[in-house]
Amino acid sequence: MSLAFDILLAFGVVFTAAAALGTHDRVASIAGFVVTGLLVALSLVRLGAPDVALAEAAIGAGLTGALLLRSAWRLKPAESRVSPAIDRIIVALIAVCLSGALAWAVYTAPGAALYPALVSERLAESGVTNPVTAVLLNFRAWDTLLEIAVLFVALILVRIVAPAHPQPVVLGELMLPFARIVVPMCAFLAGHLLWQGASVPGGAFQAGAILAGGLLVLMLGGFAVLTPRLLSWGMMVALLGLAVFAVAALSTEALTGTLLLYPDGAAKIWILMIEAVLTLSIAAMLCLLFCGMPRRPLNDV
Amino acid sequence: MTSELIYICAGSGLVGLAFYRLATCRDMLLRVLSLNVLAVGIAILFLASARNAGMTDAVPQAFILTGIVVLVAVTAALLALAEQIDSQRDE
Repeated sequence: MSLAFDILLAFGVVFTAAAALGTHDRVASIAGFVVTGLLVALSLVRLGAPDVALAEAAIGAGLTGALLLRSAWRLKPAESRVSPAIDRIIVALIAVCLSGALAWAVYTAPGAALYPALVSERLAESGVTNPVTAVLLNFRAWDTLLEIAVLFVALILVRIVAPAHPQPVVLGELMLPFARIVVPMCAFLAGHLLWQGASVPGGAFQAGAILAGGLLVLMLGGFAVLTPRLLSWGMMVALLGLAVFAVAALSTEALTGTLLLYPDGAAKIWILMIEAVLTLSIAAMLCLLFCGMPRRPLNDV
Repeated sequence: MTSELIYICAGSGLVGLAFYRLATCRDMLLRVLSLNVLAVGIAILFLASARNAGMTDAVPQAFILTGIVVLVAVTAALLALAEQIDSQRDE
């Protein structure tokens, strides 16, 4: 029974991706991509990775779809010059070979699982019981620190390149009742995911992405206008995550002599503090990445 | 093991489709979209290979989670650059 479900789901993923990539209508393409993302999230649950599935649904399908739709109106389509048939046949052959080789390589790779034993052995010391959160915020917290730095660098790049921020159009009467339900739900859900991330699937990234979704409803509905003052507050919150994480890393170095090795018995409180700040910061960064930032006039510095 | 094989096939299928589209398409938006599909395909492959006796390894899960967040940042940066290139072309 579950095998039939797996086959159907895998077929659905490949079919929607092919439909998304095959059409020349951009909006249809993006809609196909969002559906693919949601089906992929479902297949990640089947693969036993609910944390990743939550992130894929919120960030991979939701926010990326919104970003692509935003740019679809701004970017002019390239002149439709179809590649010669011989080129397309050669590329298709290479793609089929690549797929086959990848599937074969992954399937036949020796499965020497090194990490599960190590993770479960040290899980009790990590301060949390969800192994994925333990890896992200304790065992390999260094990676997460650098990841936040990457997000911030992308934000700076968007700020330098400065695409025009979207002008919210006047929406219908149902926008206000919609926002009244959706925005508090987003805030509630984000808090819930953040808190439960210590023991069951959830965590700062999923919570931050959902909070960013709520903020975008406010922005696009015209309930909050991105004034320069609000923008500089947003940038401050965005920087706060990286700053707090870096300060935490340096204080653990001072307290325990090892970078990001939390003091004995206090790991949970350290992780929770870092995650709470990261949630706000990730929400601000994702929201600003979507809105873009209006270029300030030169004499305004 | 069979269900892993099914998802390995789906993941490599996505990689192949995205590669084909990246190579034959000139539209910047669709190229960014293909890049996203490519990354999703790799995520499925990685997680399918991380399955062992009904359990999924936590370390690859954390890697993929990091990858998804970095990918959205890369997408936003690429789209900002693409919009800039587009507006320079107009002038």
